[in-house]
Amino acid sequence: MSAATQAPWHERRQLLVWLIPPLLWFTVFMVIPYCLLFYYSLGSTEYMTFKPGFSLANLIRVFRTEPYLSVLLKSARIGALTALGATVLGYPVAFCLAFHTRTARAKFLIYLLVIVPWWAAYLVKAYAWKTILGTNGLLNALLLQLHLIHEPLTLFLYNQFSVVLTLIYIFTPFAILSIYAQLERIPTSIVEASSNLGASTFETLTRIIIPLSLPGVIAGAIITFALATGDFIAPALLGGSNAIMISNVVINLLGVAFDWPMAASIGIVVIGVGTALISVAHYLEHRSQARF
Amino acid sequence: MTAIIEVRGLQKRYAGSVAVQNLSFDVTEGEFLSLLGASGSGKTTTLRMIAGLEYPTGGQVLFQGQDITNLPAAGRKMRMVFQDFALFPNLTAWDNVAFGLRLRINRPRVSAAEIKSRVGRYLEIVQLSAHAEKLPHQLSGGQRQRVALARALVTDPPIVLFDEPLGSLDASMRKVMQIELKRLHRELRKTFIYVTHDQEEAMGLSDRVAVLQGGELLQLATPEEIYAHPESEAVARFIGTANVLTGTVQAGNGGFALQLPGGARISLGNGPADLAPNQTVTVMIRAEQLRIRPAASLAEEGLVARVAERLFLGDKVRYELELPGSATRLTALDAGGTPRLGIGDQVLVLVEPSRVCVISPRTGAAR
Repeated sequence: MSAATQAPWHERRQLLVWLIPPLLWFTVFMVIPYCLLFYYSLGSTEYMTFKPGFSLANLIRVFRTEPYLSVLLKSARIGALTALGATVLGYPVAFCLAFHTRTARAKFLIYLLVIVPWWAAYLVKAYAWKTILGTNGLLNALLLQLHLIHEPLTLFLYNQFSVVLTLIYIFTPFAILSIYAQLERIPTSIVEASSNLGASTFETLTRIIIPLSLPGVIAGAIITFALATGDFIAPALLGGSNAIMISNVVINLLGVAFDWPMAASIGIVVIGVGTALISVAHYLEHRSQARF
Repeated sequence: MTAIIEVRGLQKRYAGSVAVQNLSFDVTEGEFLSLLGASGSGKTTTLRMIAGLEYPTGGQVLFQGQDITNLPAAGRKMRMVFQDFALFPNLTAWDNVAFGLRLRINRPRVSAAEIKSRVGRYLEIVQLSAHAEKLPHQLSGGQRQRVALARALVTDPPIVLFDEPLGSLDASMRKVMQIELKRLHRELRKTFIYVTHDQEEAMGLSDRVAVLQGGELLQLATPEEIYAHPESEAVARFIGTANVLTGTVQAGNGGFALQLPGGARISLGNGPADLAPNQTVTVMIRAEQLRIRPAASLAEEGLVARVAERLFLGDKVRYELELPGSATRLTALDAGGTPRLGIGDQVLVLVEPSRVCVISPRTGAAR
């Protein structure tokens, strides 16, 4: 920076004073934990106590020893299904909110309905799904009442289906808001121009609106994917043995097996994969972003 | 001369306000018709109802005699150039122009070779062949305008609609595009319906001008007619620089004269046939029709006035004149030939009786 553009010292000092709290926060709660994670992943355990070291053995074990890799892949699949479901369900809502909600009041109301479930704790909502899907749950009661079944079904709960369903329910608002933010940027005149040129609603949607909303779709998908892949409440409450996810494994390694180096190594792998995925998504988001 | 568009008692009400009320006019096939008005006059709403982008709350729109009032926009045989151009930001200039040709509405489908040749031709017409592969944000305002124009014309619609298409261009670009539009209209022989708030633009481009105010049609006529014989004070004031004066008719030796409140008199000559003495009338005189002379030449008959303001405009000088004993002010545009006059100078204002247009009460003979 040349001397001419550099702020005077007293201004920079003032800026520094303002920056100290966030920098401190960032260091204590992000930089140090990342370093600790690295440190622990390189060590080993002996009789359930941590032994510092410098070995990549744990990192290799993540890929070589069952069930780590398969659980990791299963988590990613559940995350991907959640992202897909949230996008498919969230897109029409965002679309209506952006293009077919005339009054500001109606818009606010829908917006509120999307946000309000977040006032309830996640745990409570996961429990709610348990009471809906369980053997004595609402769904079974309804089906019995309609004489569609003769005894309660157990197939709704404690499997990947119940986990994905719950995760979609929980995280769809993120997809909606992300897609909506992008759709909101599309000027009405562009949609009008399309129909003026003779395009059907479907053609306008596929040729103009969806391509223009792609950055929002990608951003929403990556958020829901990340949140769902790393989730541990839904699999713990609704997953049963078939739907154990990577966070549950990490918690067990930490709290039950006291194998901190293994837990840290899984963390490193998840962070690495996550960083790669987000980079790709960011690139795609940037490429698909039209300049209005 | 057949009407391609007929607007019948068109009306658009919003909650609590009226944008367009009881509007009726015809658009002749092949003409360049401007809808001229200030903002809030209902001109854009009218255009959008013709395009099908908005639906009227009353009245009808006919296309070649057929009622299209409730036909969706996609089904109408007209293309629009939007004020903000409304180019598709995800498509190149080429793909923007090709958009309308690739849609299912074209039956039979337009072949790839046909699309290629037509898009190429229209990009050439608007002089953008070199920029075909650019995205809208990489083009200048004038270039975007041309893409929008090519996109509207490429499907060969019988009617092209323009919603203040030059509004966002700078003054010099606007002049270039005006000439371009006039040339395109002459060469393509399509019907152009053009919305603008710029009266000079409307007058210069159009075969006929519809002047709108408060959602109502004030006058629809050729630019010359509207300029020389406005039917209302509002039209007179909206177009050009007009002096609108109200006074009493008096019979004199050389025909009629208009007696102004301050005592000054303007000769009306023989006037319209139904002019009667003691009648109160409003007249309009164009600013450039007022001839001014230094007060020394008092031999001629005219109004005595005093120069209140003098504005040099380059090709002409604008004088604001005060009539003694009256609040009435006159504006005169002098294109040269008059000796330089200063503020406070006494002048004589001469008016040719034939240049005085009686606006109200409306008289058929005045036209």
